[in-house]
Amino acid sequence: MSTLDFEQVSPGQSLPPLTKHVTVEQIRQYAEASGDRNPIHLDETFARSAGLPGVIAHGMLTMAFANQMVTDWLGDRLLLKSLQGRFAGMVLPGDEVTCSGSVASRDDERRRLVINLVVTNQRGEKVLNKGVAEAEFPPRRSNTNAA
Amino acid sequence: MTDSRWVGRSYETAPFEVTEQSIRDYMAAVGDLREDDRLVAPPTYAMVYGFDAYWQLWTDQEVALDVAHLVHGEQRFNFQRAVRPGDRIRTTGRLTAINSRGDMELVTFELKARDAEDRPVSDGSALFIIRKA
Repeated sequence: MSTLDFEQVSPGQSLPPLTKHVTVEQIRQYAEASGDRNPIHLDETFARSAGLPGVIAHGMLTMAFANQMVTDWLGDRLLLKSLQGRFAGMVLPGDEVTCSGSVASRDDERRRLVINLVVTNQRGEKVLNKGVAEAEFPPRRSNTNAA
Repeated sequence: MTDSRWVGRSYETAPFEVTEQSIRDYMAAVGDLREDDRLVAPPTYAMVYGFDAYWQLWTDQEVALDVAHLVHGEQRFNFQRAVRPGDRIRTTGRLTAINSRGDMELVTFELKARDAEDRPVSDGSALFIIRKA
């Protein structure tokens, strides 16, 4: 995949959405890969005793999906300079979550983009809101023929 | 309620040795499988190399956060450089605020990660919400 052309990006433009189907297996795999084996993510009985409807996905798994939507669009993981979001709702096994985003602004001088993000579940409820990503593109190659 | 005298307490991870396997396990777990010309960790892999700082906070018996009722409320990251196999990254986390809002307690944790040459790799902050039992 090639890197996005900064010059072709317009404020208001939407990013291609990314949908993920979250499973118990994926939550377990994330717990192993990340080291976060908090029982609210792994142990159904423990999760219920903590007042949850059952095991819940790690918030950072949802943020990883938002990260992927942005870097798939950028075509280069190194362009992403910041990422933030608020975990507005729980993600449970069986949920289908969709990341969407749009370009909020483009700074030509600093070659930076600000992207607003949201992740919703299959009922349209927000599970991540106030999402913001910033990307910075390398300086444009100078034209040696220019004055 | 967590005692506010713990505000300012900090935790440091041992150097985290980034391996190709660890990056690939993370990519497989989150389903972010796009290949780069040269392997680079997805930016949110910051949670993996920094995880022990969070773990130390959650299991600090003196601070004694009610982790059974703790959920991740907000997260922010700034990324300063690429993370690749062979990197040795040390993360410092600092408990910077404990606030009460209604029946919730809000705990702010700020993190800075640096490489073996002490150059910044990433920084960020987490907000944890503890529902009062």
